[in-house]
Amino acid sequence: MKGCIFNIDAGYLEGLCRGFKCGILKQSDYLNLVQCETLEDLKLHLQGTDYGTFLANEPSPLSVSTIDDKLREKLVIEFQHLRNHSVEPMSTFLDFITYSYMIDNIILLITGTLHQRPISELIPKCHPLGSFEQMEAIHVAATPAELYNAVLVDTPLAPFFVDCISEQDLDEMNIEIIRNTLYKAYLEAFYEFCKLIGGTTADVMCEILAFEADRRAIIITINSFGTELSKDDRAKLYPRCGKLNPDGLAALARADDYEQVKAVAEYYAEYAALFEGAGNNVGDKTLEDKFFEHEVTLNVNAFLQQFHFGVFYSYLKLKEQECRNIVWISECVAQKHRAKIDNYIPIF
Amino acid sequence: MGSLFRSEEMTLCQLFLQSEAAYACVSELGELGLVQFRDLNPDVNAFQRKFVNEVRRCDEMERKLRYLEKEIRRDGIPMLEIPGEVPEAPQPREMIDLEATFEKLENELREVNQNAEALKRNYLELTELKHILRKTQVFFDEMADPSREEEQVTLLGEEGLMAGGQALKLGFVAGVILRERIPAFERMLWRACRGNVFLRQAEIDTPLEDPSSSDQVYKSVFIIFFQGDQLKTRVKKICEGFRATLYPCPEAPADRREMAMGVMTRIEDLNTVLGQTQDHRHRVLVAAAKNIKNWFVKVRKIKAIYHTLNLFNLDVTQKCLIAECWVPALDLETIQLALRRGTERSGSSVPPILNRMETLEDPPTYNRTNKFTSAFQNLIYAYGVATYREVNPAPYTIITFPFLFAVMFGDLGHGAIMAVFGFWMCYKEKPLQAKKIDSEIWNIFFGGRYIVLLMGLFSMYTGLIYNDIFSKSLNIFGSSWRQNYNESTLTTAKSLQLNPDSMDYLQHPYPFGIDPVWQLAEANKIIFMNAYKMKISIIIGVFHMLFGVCLSLWNHLYFKRRISVYVEFIPQILFLLLLFFYMVLLMFIKWTSYGPSPPNFDDVRTSGYCAPSILITFINMMLFKTDPNMRTDCDDTMFAGQMGLQKFFVIAALMCVPVMLFGKPYFIMKEQKARASQGHQSIEASAENGTAGGAPVPASAHHDEDITEVFIHQAIHTIEYVLGSVSHTASYLRLWALSLAHAQLAEVAWNMLLRKGISTLIIIHTLSTCRAACRTRRRTCACGRCRWRTRSSPRSRGTCCSGKACSPRATRAASTCTWCSRAGPPSPSPSWC
Repeated sequence: MKGCIFNIDAGYLEGLCRGFKCGILKQSDYLNLVQCETLEDLKLHLQGTDYGTFLANEPSPLSVSTIDDKLREKLVIEFQHLRNHSVEPMSTFLDFITYSYMIDNIILLITGTLHQRPISELIPKCHPLGSFEQMEAIHVAATPAELYNAVLVDTPLAPFFVDCISEQDLDEMNIEIIRNTLYKAYLEAFYEFCKLIGGTTADVMCEILAFEADRRAIIITINSFGTELSKDDRAKLYPRCGKLNPDGLAALARADDYEQVKAVAEYYAEYAALFEGAGNNVGDKTLEDKFFEHEVTLNVNAFLQQFHFGVFYSYLKLKEQECRNIVWISECVAQKHRAKIDNYIPIF
Repeated sequence: MGSLFRSEEMTLCQLFLQSEAAYACVSELGELGLVQFRDLNPDVNAFQRKFVNEVRRCDEMERKLRYLEKEIRRDGIPMLEIPGEVPEAPQPREMIDLEATFEKLENELREVNQNAEALKRNYLELTELKHILRKTQVFFDEMADPSREEEQVTLLGEEGLMAGGQALKLGFVAGVILRERIPAFERMLWRACRGNVFLRQAEIDTPLEDPSSSDQVYKSVFIIFFQGDQLKTRVKKICEGFRATLYPCPEAPADRREMAMGVMTRIEDLNTVLGQTQDHRHRVLVAAAKNIKNWFVKVRKIKAIYHTLNLFNLDVTQKCLIAECWVPALDLETIQLALRRGTERSGSSVPPILNRMETLEDPPTYNRTNKFTSAFQNLIYAYGVATYREVNPAPYTIITFPFLFAVMFGDLGHGAIMAVFGFWMCYKEKPLQAKKIDSEIWNIFFGGRYIVLLMGLFSMYTGLIYNDIFSKSLNIFGSSWRQNYNESTLTTAKSLQLNPDSMDYLQHPYPFGIDPVWQLAEANKIIFMNAYKMKISIIIGVFHMLFGVCLSLWNHLYFKRRISVYVEFIPQILFLLLLFFYMVLLMFIKWTSYGPSPPNFDDVRTSGYCAPSILITFINMMLFKTDPNMRTDCDDTMFAGQMGLQKFFVIAALMCVPVMLFGKPYFIMKEQKARASQGHQSIEASAENGTAGGAPVPASAHHDEDITEVFIHQAIHTIEYVLGSVSHTASYLRLWALSLAHAQLAEVAWNMLLRKGISTLIIIHTLSTCRAACRTRRRTCACGRCRWRTRSSPRSRGTCCSGKACSPRATRAASTCTWCSRAGPPSPSPSWC
């Protein structure tokens, strides 16, 4: 039934999004890109793709950062276009997507101010999708409570932040905890929201978000080894909307080293496969890359279904991956470091 | 057969160009626009080709030009069109000059812009400061207001004031902030400082210019009072976060006044400097604007040439470039000439070599057009491009397209308007073209100006045939109908009929087009016109389709596809002739053999009473049955042996379908078999001869298409043709439908809009004269006139046509109203009154 009336509000935007999706670079494009000798070559080749003339107005010595900025700018324009034309409940859904960027921005700014960087230097580094009005005044706050009361209380992030207020002061460790607590709250809320929407959206998005949650839990666990983070604290940071919940998370909370994490993952077929091929040796793919690859597959699969909001999320994530790929390749080209140029993650 | 009939003959040529001369030669060929180059290195990436550096330089130049253009547009300086001829592609060495010029211009402009921006920033700061000083004055005045002090005293009491006396030393900051940020700013201040600051703000009425984007933005002045240093740093941080600019603002009124004076003088100084900078910038841009279009063309031409050169192959010796291209066979001479010119221009001694090559590849279709035919050719291209050397339908479209349009648009008046518009566009062609209007709608019209003109002219012709001018009729030759009713019948009867068998009809038709009397027949005008237009549409349609099928015969003959003639063309045309052309014939038979019943009713069978419906007849023919509703006293056929003939026709037409379906695949299969056995024999023969190496020519391999594919293709083709001829026949009825719609809408427009407007004008204008005229002509009061009068203004009826001569009821009801004949021919337009 939902499918029948989906097109009234979101049909145009879904069509638009699928059109955008067709512009994502193919394997053959990547094969051409990695052959580039200079960034100018890269520009010339990108001109032949959906990116068109996005670099045409840049003066000649190109830098990787300009490419990065322009790639991001194009993506943001597309996303904003979708957002501006959307109606409820899709607009809330799209807003939810931007919240993760807001979290990243806040953490970036707090860490920056902690290291005595001027705020004007930090602002350009923030992701434009996650910018909000009070963002630049964030350095007023010295403690999490102040941060909440002065800055965040008006933002949509306020409900996620409630759990962090108890932290005493802002040091590196606490910021990391804040970030992960925020993220946990955000993921759980997003998951609930998608369930509320129901239908295909819930099917597709819950799958993706569950993976996202599990990935965070695993990464947090692996990264916490050898730090002062206690096991109890660590357990509090796990998002509880993934497939690992509750048994897997409980097992993860007890884990002491990489092998034990791997043992936990063994119980879950898809994660076991990811751990299987990962390694730190030369030529092996890192666990992180494996996760990225799996994420890309999930996102590509989202396009197999119709009449749901998941395509917007997936499109954004795929496009981000593509930006990372292009930037990776351009870095390799710019630094004449061609050995690892093939370490991009192909999408189609 | 000229090139108008079918697409031009093309040959593949190989071109050897000397490296130095290549640029000039390609430039000359580009100006001709007759050559299509083939990509000889399709596997090479865009950035690995030979002339990629030059292309990149062109890109860079284009970027600079775009920057210039943007700046020119921002200042609203008109860019001069290219006077006269479009510039030729410059020599490669000129490229360096161009690059230098652009570089210089860009740098100059950037510098000027930078200066201007700095000045503007300065100016903005000063204006903001000015506003701050002006606005804060009010705040300070309020503070100093003695009545306020009393308020304070009463509120705080003597002690409170004394206690606060020391602490009342409030600090403040003043600044300017974007107006839309104020609410969030205020909230943040309150939250971060726990309500311990006092904010006053006032809006700056005039918008300020943002120096970096040169947008107009609205801002507000604010002043924040607070106490203590801690709050001060906090407030400053928040101000910084909200991108508010803070300005020093002296506390003492005298200092403020002094500062304001200083600011004013500095603003004035800045204004002059800014003016000079702007002047300089303007001069630079005006100079650039004169040439920019010219430059754009030049750079694009260079880029196009290098793109073309990138398609070429490099000879082993690196001395010459090898190109392959398709050229029209007739233009080989012109191309040779152009190449020679190119060589001369480049000063090279070795002439380029142009070799014709034999190839099995399909050449591209090229239809030579001129400004008249190009619009029609584009219409054809909208449906598809013909295969190489196929008959080009465009020349016939020149007549059929405007004519079919005119059948639907038939109205002399509307057609004339359209024709005049079309003629104006054709007449003013050159100046209009030079204007380069960007509007898409205009360009559609202007591109099809000859079509519009022809459509207008043809519409005038069909309008004459339909006797329709702004939904009125012209009575040029005098109607062939007279009315013979006496006056009392005319006045009382609701509707009257004119019988074609009686004296009402003069027994000879109106010489040209529809008799104008039908304009007055309100009851059956549409029925009559429908019958006529429907039949005409079908007749035109069937002839149109027959013509199209005949064109395919030319294709078959030209490509020597004899099988196709026998198993495609003949069954196709038979199918069409036996079914639909027969229907057309029936129409003519009906028109000629049935007439009005003669007065004595001696032969009822040829009267209109017995005339059968063509549609019913045709349907019955397909179903092999007779009309069950046929009247008993009529013949059930239109001519002797009709039933037998019809049965034969239908069966024969149906027999054509399997021929179309299986004929061609069958012959192809047979041919393949024959060839296979032949090939077998030849191999055996060669084997016997001991020359096993002699390869049998594998030409057959090229032709051996998959037989199932042939079947499927033929099935699609047949289904399309059979269904198509049925549905197209029905589709041609659209000619009638749209013609009807047009006529009816024109009538509505006339009745509801134009006549109302015109008549009110005329009534006021001619009331008196009409009165006089009516008095003298009371006896012959022409009712066409009165009809108008009675309808448009009932009140004036009594004065105009007194008596019973024209009661409104009678006039309105008259169906075939020819009863004005006594007063002369019915006038199509009543305005002569």
